[in-house]
Amino acid sequence: MGRQFNGSEILLESLRRENVEVFFGLPGGVVLPLYDALYSSGIRHLLVRHEQAAAFAADGYARVTGRVGVCLGTSGPGATNLTTGLTSAMMDSIPVVALTGQVALPLIGKDAFQECDTIGISMPSTKRSFLVRSAADLPSVIHQAFKTAISGRPGPVLVDLPKSVLMESAEPTYPTTPGIAQLERIREWKDEDIERAAEMILESRRAVLYAGGGVIAANAWQELRELAELTHIPVTTTLMGLGAFPSAHPLSLGMLGMHGSYATNQSICNCDLLIGVGVRFDDRVTGRLKDFASLAKKIHIDVDPAELNKNVRVDIGLIGDARETLRALLEVLKRRLPEGKDLTPPARRQWLQRIESWRSEYPLTYDKYGHAVKPQYVIQTLSHYAAEDAIASVDVGQHQMWAAQYWEFRKPRTWLSSSGLGSMGYGFPAAMGAQLAFPNRQVIAIVGDGGFQMTLNDLATVAQYRVPVKIAIINNRSLGMVRQWQEIFFEKRYCDIDLTFSPDFAKLAESYGIRGVRVDHRTDVPDAVRDFLSDREPRLIDFWLDPAENVYPIVPPGGSLAEMVVEPPRVLVEEEEALDDLWAV
Amino acid sequence: MQWLLALETNGDPITSCRLMNIFRRKGVSIVTLAMAARTEGFSVVALVETPEHEVDHIFNFLRRVEGVENVTYYRHEPEGDASFVFIDADADSSSLARFLQTFPESKLIFGSHGKYLLEIPGDRKPSSASLDFGKQEILPFARVKSSIPQPELVAAQT
Repeated sequence: MGRQFNGSEILLESLRRENVEVFFGLPGGVVLPLYDALYSSGIRHLLVRHEQAAAFAADGYARVTGRVGVCLGTSGPGATNLTTGLTSAMMDSIPVVALTGQVALPLIGKDAFQECDTIGISMPSTKRSFLVRSAADLPSVIHQAFKTAISGRPGPVLVDLPKSVLMESAEPTYPTTPGIAQLERIREWKDEDIERAAEMILESRRAVLYAGGGVIAANAWQELRELAELTHIPVTTTLMGLGAFPSAHPLSLGMLGMHGSYATNQSICNCDLLIGVGVRFDDRVTGRLKDFASLAKKIHIDVDPAELNKNVRVDIGLIGDARETLRALLEVLKRRLPEGKDLTPPARRQWLQRIESWRSEYPLTYDKYGHAVKPQYVIQTLSHYAAEDAIASVDVGQHQMWAAQYWEFRKPRTWLSSSGLGSMGYGFPAAMGAQLAFPNRQVIAIVGDGGFQMTLNDLATVAQYRVPVKIAIINNRSLGMVRQWQEIFFEKRYCDIDLTFSPDFAKLAESYGIRGVRVDHRTDVPDAVRDFLSDREPRLIDFWLDPAENVYPIVPPGGSLAEMVVEPPRVLVEEEEALDDLWAV
Repeated sequence: MQWLLALETNGDPITSCRLMNIFRRKGVSIVTLAMAARTEGFSVVALVETPEHEVDHIFNFLRRVEGVENVTYYRHEPEGDASFVFIDADADSSSLARFLQTFPESKLIFGSHGKYLLEIPGDRKPSSASLDFGKQEILPFARVKSSIPQPELVAAQT
């Protein structure tokens, strides 16, 4: 008979074998045996102040690394508090493994103290959930959980751990290969489908590549760029796809949809071929469905067969991993063209010129000369001074959209956003998770005053562990996006959006031992940002903004992309000149 | 429109719970549902009402649910080219017996609690007249799609 270990020890060894270096959690009654084993395990654990932050931190860790993020909560409230984070990870296809304590097996179903039906509650929020019934099962369950989380369309997996399982002894048998090494790439398309898709691309005159989170999940950004450059097809990205294509690239169209630019949405309305890669034709992207890219044939590449024809009918659906599929497409396109031949027919050049003219007609812009701090200016300044590989983690609301519009995306896996679920409170803890993954990179949490108040209790966590997250609060003393909708769509009948009764965030940060400042004048922004980013300590800046600022363009809910409201520029200046002038102040 | 969904799941009852929740969330209206234990899992057969344009999505959604090993869906073919029948015989198995007398070569795919799914091999196709066995419902179906064969998995390239 081999050596016996208790369930907690077997669990931690299983995590170690899946290359887990850090996880985020908060202890409680039933997981005490696990924390006892953790005491001498060598795996790092970050004590958060609320389990929701643990789930968001695990999500942030997963997004920046491409690996599985791990979080833990005790039974009952610990598990229920994880649910929002898991649902967000589910919506955005982020690989997270959540470990939850559960009451001892004989007590399950007896309404024991801190018992809840974690499996039942988590069912729609996870790809899969396991209730472990024996310590001996732990190695294979953990292995399956990690493999499930990362394979195919990634997503969260929950493992419910009864206290009795954590305490009982067993002789473990560990799988011989770690889950991550067995990553398989799905490919259901046939060669003739790729040939047809290539034919459509070659025949198109006004094509647009529409890239989403699937490009990032599959590490397919190089293939995306190669396809765009080979065919001279411009690229728009979804909120989830930001970073998959560099913003400064001449073929970049930025984000499309409800708050996409005029040029981007016009190009969708007028294209003759739309090539969706790792996207799900979300309602915030499409607007009124029947009018979405109605002139275009559509190719859709996605790893999840359920996404094809879900919202929009497509002409060719290619079910497969984005990278494998794009590689196959590139191979065919290159084969069909004699070497050195320019793939840019005159019609496509005209198309790019037309997009450029839309861009000139209505560029993304704002008032650059008032005294009030403009949020767009803050985002541009942060982006300007941030390191090349800095990670931006946003919350949900107006500031999220401004960041999507004005941050310069240089690299993939540098953008964290609860995009599908739109969960306020995400930005700060997700930044914390990203910072744990990359301690030496700049991680900037760009948050609103509303969202930050949902998870700011984890200021204690960054202070305790000296996690050098930079927190930039885009503070308009209101629930800004709700206020904007009430202003535009509800005749300014403002109802319960006032957040003037908030703490002084700079002083609050100071009370945790974190340097905090407030900036309320435009000319102070550059120096404050430079100082903010100058060290390796957690820092907070509270930017007091013009509270009346709105996000434009905006597609009214239920409207088509062609019906977007484009605010006319308030001050007509050459954009670059203006910015150079402002940073020089 | 009526469809028949036949699923095989692993032995974890959580998978079956997920299926019920998916039916609810996707607006699949269940007319009849039966479940049977297999050696290493469960079989589920559901007669459902759902618009034609939704069925493909539901099939694709179901086939990628963790724990679902196989999904097949059948379209109700009252007059057309049916090779399958679904018999909802309840406690009275006389209609099944009569059907088997008429189509003795039939192969039982699923049977539980008076609900049977049978395949009629070969060229003999059941017409509405040949399925008129009195009160009990015998519905002809044509197989539309099955998740067999499984998606090709290729090794990840680094």
